[in-house]
Amino acid sequence: MAAVPKVLLAPITVTPSKPLTPSHLKGLFWADVLHRATGHLAEVTYRYSHTTYHRTEQVLGFWEFLDRTEGDTDYHDATETEIGELYVRYRAQEDRPGAAALRPYAEAVEESGWVHPASERVLRLWSGHYERLGLYDPGLREHQPPGLGLEEMIDRLVAAGCGLDQRRWGGSVHLDLTRWGLPLRQIVTPDGRPNYLACALRELLVLAPRHDEVVFLYDRELAPDYRLLERLLGSADTVVRCVPIGRVPIGGRIVSARHGGWQDHTVDRLLAAVDDEHDVPAIRLGLRLYFIAMLGPGDQQSFRHDLLAKSCARAERLLDRAARDPKADSAELRADLSRYQHSHRYVDPYRLTSSLLARSRRTIDAGLLSEVFL
Amino acid sequence: MPAGAADRLIAAAAGRIRAARPDLVADLDLSSMAALEAARARIRDDDEGDEAVVVAVIRAPDLPRWIVETCVFALSLPADRADAWRRGFTRTLHLAGQPRHLGERFRFAHVAGDGSAGWTAPAPASDVLGLRRLLKTFAGERELRPHAPVTVRVPYPAQYHAGGGPARPPVHRDLYYATARVSVAEGLVHLNHLLAEAVLDGLVGPGDRLTLRPVPRLTGLERTFTAVRAETDVHRPHTLQAYAALTEEL
Repeated sequence: MAAVPKVLLAPITVTPSKPLTPSHLKGLFWADVLHRATGHLAEVTYRYSHTTYHRTEQVLGFWEFLDRTEGDTDYHDATETEIGELYVRYRAQEDRPGAAALRPYAEAVEESGWVHPASERVLRLWSGHYERLGLYDPGLREHQPPGLGLEEMIDRLVAAGCGLDQRRWGGSVHLDLTRWGLPLRQIVTPDGRPNYLACALRELLVLAPRHDEVVFLYDRELAPDYRLLERLLGSADTVVRCVPIGRVPIGGRIVSARHGGWQDHTVDRLLAAVDDEHDVPAIRLGLRLYFIAMLGPGDQQSFRHDLLAKSCARAERLLDRAARDPKADSAELRADLSRYQHSHRYVDPYRLTSSLLARSRRTIDAGLLSEVFL
Repeated sequence: MPAGAADRLIAAAAGRIRAARPDLVADLDLSSMAALEAARARIRDDDEGDEAVVVAVIRAPDLPRWIVETCVFALSLPADRADAWRRGFTRTLHLAGQPRHLGERFRFAHVAGDGSAGWTAPAPASDVLGLRRLLKTFAGERELRPHAPVTVRVPYPAQYHAGGGPARPPVHRDLYYATARVSVAEGLVHLNHLLAEAVLDGLVGPGDRLTLRPVPRLTGLERTFTAVRAETDVHRPHTLQAYAALTEEL
């Protein structure tokens, strides 16, 4: 029997500085269904380490801003929205703190896994959301340092001929895949600040070669960076699959969370609108039907509370039907899931979720729902 | 005394315009700093965008080696290319990159033996758009550092065209450059213009020795210079400062 393939699922984390918005939830549901479905056919590593990305300027700069402008503050009972409003203020500032101001924070992250209490609070609230939404928690509040230090990562890139380190002359560190016609990409600024790509490489350079397939789920706007990662990490032994996902417009506009405007679309608001009508399984399934099957991989449809409610009603009917249909055994479940693998090893969350709504599907297996969607 | 030095720098800057654009000299007043600035603005405005430009792809700009390779590149240019570049004031874009990664897609006129830098032949800016899209401007924000004098020798290229005539006997010059408030990237720009133009004018040739002498500022040395790179002073916007210079033969 062939060895069980190893699949790495490694999305970029959401910065813990604001409420989860519909765009974030869409990515989280796609990743969750992909992870749980593929887990029946392969050994899946779901790498989602906030520790890895705390070194980015968005995070460290926000922490420095909070301490500079808010002073000693108790964030223990703060809401996501309150912290998010501070983040919007931070991002609206024209002047950014320099590397020197961020250094104590960067060192604390590296040396002890320190997390600012405001982000600690946001992550605690998110853990609660994950639980309510039935999302697998890949270690939101765990200290999960990347496999390589920043310098080790740069050394490896340079040794592989894929890095250009010009810090000696006051230049940047670049990811250099120009030999394949891909543009030079700065990953560390001349004053030493790594961007998210540098942070990602600190874990991916170690993790990717240990897997047969690496799946990247990402915001379409980041596509150029993922083309670089695909080229860098793909090899004879490791296939890289790129799955871009469009954001969810609000009122016809795609706006980054750094600008705010999420007030009517936080997890609490979304759930408040459906909580009275449906039980937990119907809400969990309904959210997945909406964010995966109905919104799809594109970014054309704006978020609609009414369609989310309809999805929950539909989920209710599917759950009733599943209770009546015969339950599949594990071999049948695997056979069902494998239909959505196609040429790759991961299970396509969009096709799988859409299949629940297809007229051609003869039975709805309660096991499939509980294993993957609830 | 300061007035004398300032006048010599203005004369040097004017001389550079005369050498690059003899066609314009009759119409241009180059006698004062204000006139010089006006002349430069006019030349910029008249620029039709098709002036020859060189892309220098920089991997590791350690100055002694980079200075030698810059001279080798300039010596390798055929007369027509050299003339076009001189006319465009030896304009050069310094981009971060690794020339050896680019050889299959782009043609370089010269690549340093260790791959630390590479130069495209002078060509209209539209010819180097592909490279510019692929690479980024070389940041080089660190201030230049002083070091003990180092002497380098310009090698004899397999063939060279600049100067036209037969090789003259090698000479030895000092090459001074300013370090105070001058970044590595700015230093490359100044040295590139000085050396490229010196090669094209025959002041630097094969076999010549150059002793690199970094100093905070070139003040007080200008009487010994045979070629000087004069640009806006780091402290005073309407005054010139000498950023790099070659001395008379030693």
